[in-house]
Amino acid sequence: MSDRVYEILFIADPNLGEAEVDALTTQVQGYVEKEGGHIQKVEKWGKKRLAYLIGKHREGSYVLLSVEGGGALIKEVERRIRVTDGVVKFMTVRVDEELRKAERRKERRVAEEARKKSRLAARSAGAEGEGVTA
Amino acid sequence: MSFGAGGPRGPGGRPAAKGGAARGGKEQGKRYFFRRRKVCKFCADRIDYVDYKDVKLLSGFVPERGKVLPRRMFGTCAEHQRKLTLAIKRARNIALLPFAAD
Repeated sequence: MSDRVYEILFIADPNLGEAEVDALTTQVQGYVEKEGGHIQKVEKWGKKRLAYLIGKHREGSYVLLSVEGGGALIKEVERRIRVTDGVVKFMTVRVDEELRKAERRKERRVAEEARKKSRLAARSAGAEGEGVTA
Repeated sequence: MSFGAGGPRGPGGRPAAKGGAARGGKEQGKRYFFRRRKVCKFCADRIDYVDYKDVKLLSGFVPERGKVLPRRMFGTCAEHQRKLTLAIKRARNIALLPFAAD
């Protein structure tokens, strides 16, 4: 099973320059690719204020990775991130199931709305017809 | 179409006017004004996936202290409150939202 989607969000040391953060990001991407994972997207949020102190840091550079892969891959990548310098904190969240559910709900709602609309249209058309005959 | 069944419809709508005619109009009107019907924001905006990364959205549901408030405060439906709580907890974990601010 390797069709799960995870989001890895990590906070890089705010003292790192932009180039260094980029280097760190490619390093983490390297971990994923080495384990046979597929990277869907990379988002750099830049420096943000942290809601609370982590270590001695008030702010940090956020980087988000969307990764396709299995549990073993995440285990190894997490282990590697843990020993990587420059990462203040990270979090991995499995998102594929929730996103799929949301997608299904959306589809269902769109279908229902279409049905409702057509029913309403049919009813008003019927009412008009009655009015004409009466 | 029958309007009779729609008892507590809109604020200041048909039922309010009726009640006003029966009793002192002003008080009745006031009561309706006070009780604004709360609608789940997530249902209204059709948000299927409550994203923990969307700080702008989440912070609207977290007061200064950083607590998760009960449903009755925001009128969220049970399903979305559950999702909201999870999203807030995730956001806290990665320092997007505070655990407790002082």
